[in-house]
Amino acid sequence: MSSRARLVFFAVAAAALAAALGVGLAGLPSFGSQVSAYARMLNELAPAQRHVTDVVAAISFDYRGIDTLFEEFILLSAVAGISVLLRPLSDETRRLPEDKAPDRRIPPPSPAVWLLAVFLSSLLLLTGIETVTHGQLTPGGGFQGGVVLASGLYVVYLGTNYTTVERFQPNALLEASDGLGASGYAFIGLLGLLAGVSYLSNVVNLGITGDAVSSGTIQLLNVVVGVEVAGGFAILASEFLDQTAVVRTRQR
Amino acid sequence: MSVLAYGVVVWLFLIGVYGVVTSKNLIHLVVCLSVAQSATDILLLEIGYRSGGHAPVFVDLPAHPGPAVDAVTQALALTDVVVGAAVTALLLALVVQVHKRAGTLDPNQLRATRD
Amino acid sequence: MNQFSSSAVIPASVVVPLVGAALMAGFSGLLPRWARDLIAIAIAVATVVLTLILTSASAGRPMIYWFSGWRPAGGMVIGIDYAVGPLGAGMASLAGLLVTAALVYSCRYFDSARGRYHALVLIFLAGSVDFCLTGDLFNVFVAFELVAVTAFGLTGYNAGHPAPLQGAINFAVTNSLGGMTVLMGVGLLYARTGSLNLAQVGQALAGRHPDGLVVVAFALLAGGFLIKAAVVPFHFWLPDAYGSAPIPVCVLFAGVLSELGLFGLIRVWDTVFSGAAGEPGPRMRAVLLGLGIATALVGAVMALAQTQLKRMLAFVTMSHLGIYLIGVGLLSPLGLAGASLLVIGDALAKSALFLGVGIVQRQRATVSELKLRGRGRGLAVAGVTIALGALALADLPPFASAGGHALLATAADQAGVSWLEVVIAATVGLSSGAVLRAAGRIWLGWGAAEASSPDVGTADDAGDEAEDRPDITEDGQGIAGPSERPGRVPLTMALPPLALLAIGLGLGLAPGLEAHVATAAAAFTDRSAYAATVLGTGRGAVADTAGVVDSASHAVTVSGLLTDLGQVAAALCVAVVGLDRRAVRLRRALAGGTGWLRRLHSGLVGDQVTWLVAGLALLAALGGAALR
Repeated sequence: MSSRARLVFFAVAAAALAAALGVGLAGLPSFGSQVSAYARMLNELAPAQRHVTDVVAAISFDYRGIDTLFEEFILLSAVAGISVLLRPLSDETRRLPEDKAPDRRIPPPSPAVWLLAVFLSSLLLLTGIETVTHGQLTPGGGFQGGVVLASGLYVVYLGTNYTTVERFQPNALLEASDGLGASGYAFIGLLGLLAGVSYLSNVVNLGITGDAVSSGTIQLLNVVVGVEVAGGFAILASEFLDQTAVVRTRQR
Repeated sequence: MSVLAYGVVVWLFLIGVYGVVTSKNLIHLVVCLSVAQSATDILLLEIGYRSGGHAPVFVDLPAHPGPAVDAVTQALALTDVVVGAAVTALLLALVVQVHKRAGTLDPNQLRATRD
Repeated sequence: MNQFSSSAVIPASVVVPLVGAALMAGFSGLLPRWARDLIAIAIAVATVVLTLILTSASAGRPMIYWFSGWRPAGGMVIGIDYAVGPLGAGMASLAGLLVTAALVYSCRYFDSARGRYHALVLIFLAGSVDFCLTGDLFNVFVAFELVAVTAFGLTGYNAGHPAPLQGAINFAVTNSLGGMTVLMGVGLLYARTGSLNLAQVGQALAGRHPDGLVVVAFALLAGGFLIKAAVVPFHFWLPDAYGSAPIPVCVLFAGVLSELGLFGLIRVWDTVFSGAAGEPGPRMRAVLLGLGIATALVGAVMALAQTQLKRMLAFVTMSHLGIYLIGVGLLSPLGLAGASLLVIGDALAKSALFLGVGIVQRQRATVSELKLRGRGRGLAVAGVTIALGALALADLPPFASAGGHALLATAADQAGVSWLEVVIAATVGLSSGAVLRAAGRIWLGWGAAEASSPDVGTADDAGDEAEDRPDITEDGQGIAGPSERPGRVPLTMALPPLALLAIGLGLGLAPGLEAHVATAAAAFTDRSAYAATVLGTGRGAVADTAGVVDSASHAVTVSGLLTDLGQVAAALCVAVVGLDRRAVRLRRALAGGTGWLRRLHSGLVGDQVTWLVAGLALLAALGGAALR
């Protein structure tokens, strides 16, 4: 279609779709007026049943835990897919960045930047660990904390240079943590089968509500997801970084 | 209030799709797709909202806390965010390779698969 | 309650491939290539075994498995369940079988593949199994996205060429929009019914007259599934993606991915919407049949116009998807049974076709029908699989597809739309004819030497660039650039297509298969029985199985066999007309008449999304007319 025809066609179609969506959404209960009985029941029961204070974590990792298993694997698939898509192809090679001038090497990062990076990455690491391990108490959890952990690794690159990052985050380690995190979730689920109940049942000691260690497998699953997400996002960043800094067309 | 609340969903979705349809840059296209994605997240969160409600976190609550909002839709929206991030990252990786191999970022210049 | 299942086989059928995939992705560097291939194949075989066990165990009554120990309380569902029935488990087994064949084939097809490829394929399998077994609406969405994300990565595998990349982008953009509409539909249903469980939502909607919200929820859900199933007008991404993905991946796509879209559609219809007041069945049937016929025809005509083999097979796949939608769209147990058996039989045949084309690609370094003219000597295996595959797709008895066709014909007769037979015969004849024409040109050397004039079959060969090189190696140590391989075809590439065809033949010869499939379909379509079983409110006896089974057992008739043979003959005629020098004028006229259709398939993502929006609006309007 010519771009003009496409625009006209789209305008008409979008108007029709907008009308349809409008009709559909008009049937929704008035905004803010009610919450489903299912949600009300979970809000009442989850703290007592699962010794959590954050009900969303209980829903994600206990009541509807199998959904989160697949969600974790969506992330794993995306990371694997990106590794496949951005791999050096047969007409490319990996060449570490180096300065072109022969009488000069790449200057080290300035002390101020380096110090800031150390400080920030430590802060992010601690915040990430806290978020991952306390998802059952306050909003947070494996996914959120894992991203914070990964950004701690990004800050290392920002404050130093590529070779330092390569040394700090060997690809094998990241891939292993990604794989272990994902399979760890599935293995923790097996505990339920071993205990004679359903897969992914919460069979670990639930502890006292509000404690740093409580809610049984919910916390364990959070940790495992955090490991996987951190590893996955770090691989992501390193793949994209490789494309700009390292992968070069092979000179024949 | 309902009209505005749910109208935002329709607007965001359609403006995101409009961006995808008329885009001349693949990176812009991927971001527009995220905009459309956020419309679905907003819809879920709005469905679960309760006027005067507090977050479904039962710690440090005031004396008369009132109702809590729907925690289920929040869990669903969380999942959707992760899915959106995964798809965006994949698409961006594809865009990087397209730029290298096809030499262009304009989706309308891609002629490799057509009849 | 002891009516729920506690069999560990059910969670194992998804956990086994998931764990295998995660360990492959994390530790692939530690193992040699042959070990990776072997472990992946073993995991796939294990999944097939597990799902086959489920297929036979659930034949009498669906097995309901509640995860995390949360069973329904007081009529309200708390957790997520798998509702395992023979139809779903059978579809999952088919997915496992095709994954196994693809993995065996990949051993020698890819010069090198790190564990990430195997991980992606195994996660694809796990997601498909989850999609087929789950009883939770949001879990359906998550499985939908999981299968999609793995597919996007796998499509762009040959990242060194623009065609797979463009195909992957078109695929990703359209299908993630599909995921968004599914999620919006799920949200709307949750807001109305307060539940995410298929059975409970169905119960809440049953007996009530559908209003605007329910109609739009249906349109959004159906739209998302139809995008995945590549039904007109949501289909434009399919030839781009399936025509440029690596061959083993095409097997997965053509045999599993598209069919999952239709499975999702009928699953959601049968468990959620079919109980709505106002007898929506007949009107919805008209809508679905219309879409199915359009898809079948467009696919068949476009297939004929292709000269790039993979793109041609992509359109053949699409055309058969239209036929499955016709079967599903009859909204009857017998129609569903016919579509299911066709899905199984055709998946085996289509996979054999793709694998055969892959052999040709590897040995001759091109998939252009014109460039391959007469160069089929020495590739007997590929020739046999392609010819047999095309004939099996044309419902040659006694392949399994013939049985499916018989069931479908019976269902159409019972619904009073016997004229569908003509449509099906025409589209099958055209699509199989296109493949047979290609086979004739490649192996028998028929047809003009150069297609110098505009001809049906001289569409711009944009695919050459992508397909004329062998798949690029991963560690940068391979050769890029076109090169033939004059050696023997490796055994791991020759065996899978022949094995798949043999299984198709074996299933077709198995007695009583039609009756089994019909029983499964009858159980699948009974909404109230399903709800009773899941919610634990009763044993849920399935109504009227006897009538369906009876019709199924007598479905294969002499006239049906003659129709099948007629279809095969039609395909052969189409092939001959496509090659014969004397039919040049006819071909030119057809090319001129269908030029507008071919130009619509521009491969531009902006066009495809515009059609998508139009299709969604159309679905909303048609759904409103049907459901109200």
